[in-house]
Amino acid sequence: MQLNSTEDSRPNGVAIATNGEHNGFSRRLTDEEFDRYSRQMIVPGMGREAQLRLINSKVLIIGGGGLGCPAAQYVAGAGVGTIGIIDGDVVEPSNLHRQVGHATSRIGMKKVDSLITHLRDLNPLPTYTPYTYPISPENAADIISQYDLVLDCTDNPATRYLISDVCVLLCKPLVSAASIQKSGQLIVLNCPPTPQGKVDKKYPPCYRCCFRKPPPANTQLSCGEAGIMGPVVGLMGVAQAGEAIKILASALHLPSSIPSNPEDDPHNLIQPTLLIYSYDLTAAPGPFTFRALKMAPRKKNCFACGENSPQTLTLEGVKSGNPNYIQFCGIQTPKIVLPEQDRITASAYHAARQNGQLQNHILLDTREKEHFSFGSIDGAVNVPFGKLLMKAATIKRHGGDAEEILPVEISEDQKDVPPIFVVCRRGLDSQEAVEKLKELGVDRGGKRKIVDIIGGMKAWKEEVDPSFPFI
Amino acid sequence: MTTPKPPPGHFTILYFASATSFTAKNVESLPAPLSLKKLFDVLEERYKGIKDSVLDHSLVTINLAYVDIPEEGEEDVIIKEGDEVAIIPPVSSG
Ligand SMILES: [Zn+2]
Repeated sequence: MQLNSTEDSRPNGVAIATNGEHNGFSRRLTDEEFDRYSRQMIVPGMGREAQLRLINSKVLIIGGGGLGCPAAQYVAGAGVGTIGIIDGDVVEPSNLHRQVGHATSRIGMKKVDSLITHLRDLNPLPTYTPYTYPISPENAADIISQYDLVLDCTDNPATRYLISDVCVLLCKPLVSAASIQKSGQLIVLNCPPTPQGKVDKKYPPCYRCCFRKPPPANTQLSCGEAGIMGPVVGLMGVAQAGEAIKILASALHLPSSIPSNPEDDPHNLIQPTLLIYSYDLTAAPGPFTFRALKMAPRKKNCFACGENSPQTLTLEGVKSGNPNYIQFCGIQTPKIVLPEQDRITASAYHAARQNGQLQNHILLDTREKEHFSFGSIDGAVNVPFGKLLMKAATIKRHGGDAEEILPVEISEDQKDVPPIFVVCRRGLDSQEAVEKLKELGVDRGGKRKIVDIIGGMKAWKEEVDPSFPFI
Repeated sequence: MTTPKPPPGHFTILYFASATSFTAKNVESLPAPLSLKKLFDVLEERYKGIKDSVLDHSLVTINLAYVDIPEEGEEDVIIKEGDEVAIIPPVSSG
């Protein structure tokens, strides 16, 4: 990732000077601009013209969270002239370990307003445009069309496909990053921006060219469910700002920066790269685990940007609900619902324990061990859901004693087979676990009851123990 | 994650994001050579359900470069001894 340095080494066809005369590219910098941006302007490859290009640029940051906060700080600090930020959420205490543009004093405020407060304090010169509602198929094109470059700092697949599609249709470069738990990804898409349907040479890919379809809905996790390390998402957001500044300063956001002959392009413009960062909490410090992966160029058969895409994807279509992004990415619906006799409410389970009906039983808690470490019901044994599924699959394939899946010793001839209760975080995994255990015959042909605690530890906190530390 | 050299007759396979959670591994060695067309079946054999939950929407790289999984009738790619394959599911959160 090198800066395309001087005017002369820019690929053919970029007409900065002529383009610029009308837009204030030839003006002098004000004293305030000069003071503020001097340290970056003297970096080789920057200079006055690159700074003026930043000042004359408009950047849209979609999402004011873990990626958007660090990205916005550096975009604003660098002096990008117009910065739009779109997000419908409000600041919550659980955001603050990573969303560095917010503050304890602004909990409850709209994220967009909170972040702009922070950015104005950092640099009052840019124009900040707030959009305090989420991006949607109805509003996406109207908003994106007003900007030169887009940063995707959102948190769900449906929005990622929407943003990429609209950027293809409007010919905007897209800097896309994502992060969860201990992994981060970054890729620059549709840059230099290329008209939809052009496939006669090598052109940059869109999000769909890289990720053809979204993960199944039941495997999609949010940071709220799976957790996220602050520095991992922060690093990705900062890298997004870095790519955005590079693109704008070198005028690569202009459609005319497509090299006329990609084969002898000295800047590797059509060599899209996916940056992967994995951060291993259990490893020794270093070696640093960045990987730069060479991605393929635009795909001929891509739904959004390929050969026949003008027939499959249009601005009018997107606005009127075609494609249907929510359907494409699957709707989050609770999966299985077990029959009533296999389920018990948290309060009924508690009552049965209290009045002595349930002396001898096994309580399995299928949450991750980190969740379990904050607290559990007395006597619960931790069998993380993923491990349980793995063990179940192994037993199914290679045979073996199904009851080894249980963390407790039970003799074969024990007459009184203690029932099993299963609890998880919110009551979905536990149902699947009950099904799996029965499938393996752990219920001994119906002699043993295996019961799901409805609503998981969340229900336990609501119905039984309000002081329980649920996260 | 450090990437160990695979033993003779093997290639290295790296798992990222949800592929790591599914396999409970960052890295392992598998016997080489292997046809890319057969890679998903070999993994499904080891990790039941991984095809639907992870592989179908992941991208695959060999030696740090993206590869298309060949479809029926398309020319196959052979994963060779010493290659580094990576399974990279999309990450959506932020
Ligand atoms: Zn595409």
